[in-house]
Amino acid sequence: MVRRLGIAFVGLAAFLGSGFAVFAQLQFANTAKPPGDSVSDIRQIDLDGLKKLLERDPKDTRPLLVNFWATWCDGCREEFPDLVKIDNDYRAKGLNFVAVSLDEVEDIRTKVEPFLKEMKAAMPVVLLNEKDPETAIHFVDPTWQGDMPATFLYDKDGKVVFKHFGKIKPAELRSAIDKAVGSKQ
Amino acid sequence: MRKQYAFTVILAVSLIIAFTAIAGSGRNDDNALMAPPIGSTIDDFKLPDADGASHSLSSLRGKNGAVLIFIATRCPISNGYNERMEKLSQDYKAKGITVIGINSNVTEPVSEVKSHALEKHLTFTILKDDGNKIADRLGAGHTPEAYVLDANNKLVYHGRIDNSLKIENVTSNDLRDALDELLAGKPVSKTGGAAFGCSIKRAS
Repeated sequence: MVRRLGIAFVGLAAFLGSGFAVFAQLQFANTAKPPGDSVSDIRQIDLDGLKKLLERDPKDTRPLLVNFWATWCDGCREEFPDLVKIDNDYRAKGLNFVAVSLDEVEDIRTKVEPFLKEMKAAMPVVLLNEKDPETAIHFVDPTWQGDMPATFLYDKDGKVVFKHFGKIKPAELRSAIDKAVGSKQ
Repeated sequence: MRKQYAFTVILAVSLIIAFTAIAGSGRNDDNALMAPPIGSTIDDFKLPDADGASHSLSSLRGKNGAVLIFIATRCPISNGYNERMEKLSQDYKAKGITVIGINSNVTEPVSEVKSHALEKHLTFTILKDDGNKIADRLGAGHTPEAYVLDANNKLVYHGRIDNSLKIENVTSNDLRDALDELLAGKPVSKTGGAAFGCSIKRAS
């Protein structure tokens, strides 16, 4: 009898334990954000990563907004609140927005993350880590000399439909996004 | 007849104004800046220094050429190159090439340009480009951004100083290489290079 009770107890404990483990996994899966989708999860990319970002997954036909910025760039910091608003307003309308930081890798925790938290930024942020940025700059746009900030909007076919060097004029960018996502605001 | 004549004059004047505006804006329709092509001759210009004294490019240019570098007082990237720019100036002054700094930022007053140069020990001439006229003419977009002119004001290089703000990561000294080739009488093999920098804060 005692032996049977013991076996039953072990079995019950195993059942409950595995159930709890499954429950915990599900909870983690629901709350864990995919890489690049969290303010604190900034993925480093190199030139190849930048190419993949801009060449796009063929299955992703959303218009793509890319903003090149850095915490050392005061124009970038000044325009960021407008970009956060644009992200909030257009993400549900089908705009994919990725911010590419040109900060130093060692500044991710001390400068980049605190800034993004202050901005309440929700868009994916990646950091371009290339010792020589020239090829990356010219890959993005052959006319670009590296002026920061720089903003590019690609339509669903991957064509550049808007680009701006220096601080954006929000109304101009919004107008371009409206056309790209096919909405009027 | 008079009406036709008046219309023609008005149309011609409008076209001239429009052409001048486009040509002087330094930007194309995509908002990208238009720099003079390599090989073009840069017209002489005059700008004041931080003390208000006016200087012409021709008076400052060395016997073998000049390096114009658009710089800033508040841009961390431009400031990260302060020592390198000063060393460049010292190294090439003796070789007949003058480094000339140009500050076109509307947000940086001339008093700040002067105090910044003193604080950072920059001894080369720094000119204040109010209204960013020279920045527009040369299509300069950010700091630091360098232009090398030969003894006849021909543009032989336009671009970055080197490939990295961190000295330990510098593998390509593009500006120095261009100057050395110029001094050796050789064609400049790499006439430009891109690097990230702070946009020039323009008045217009």
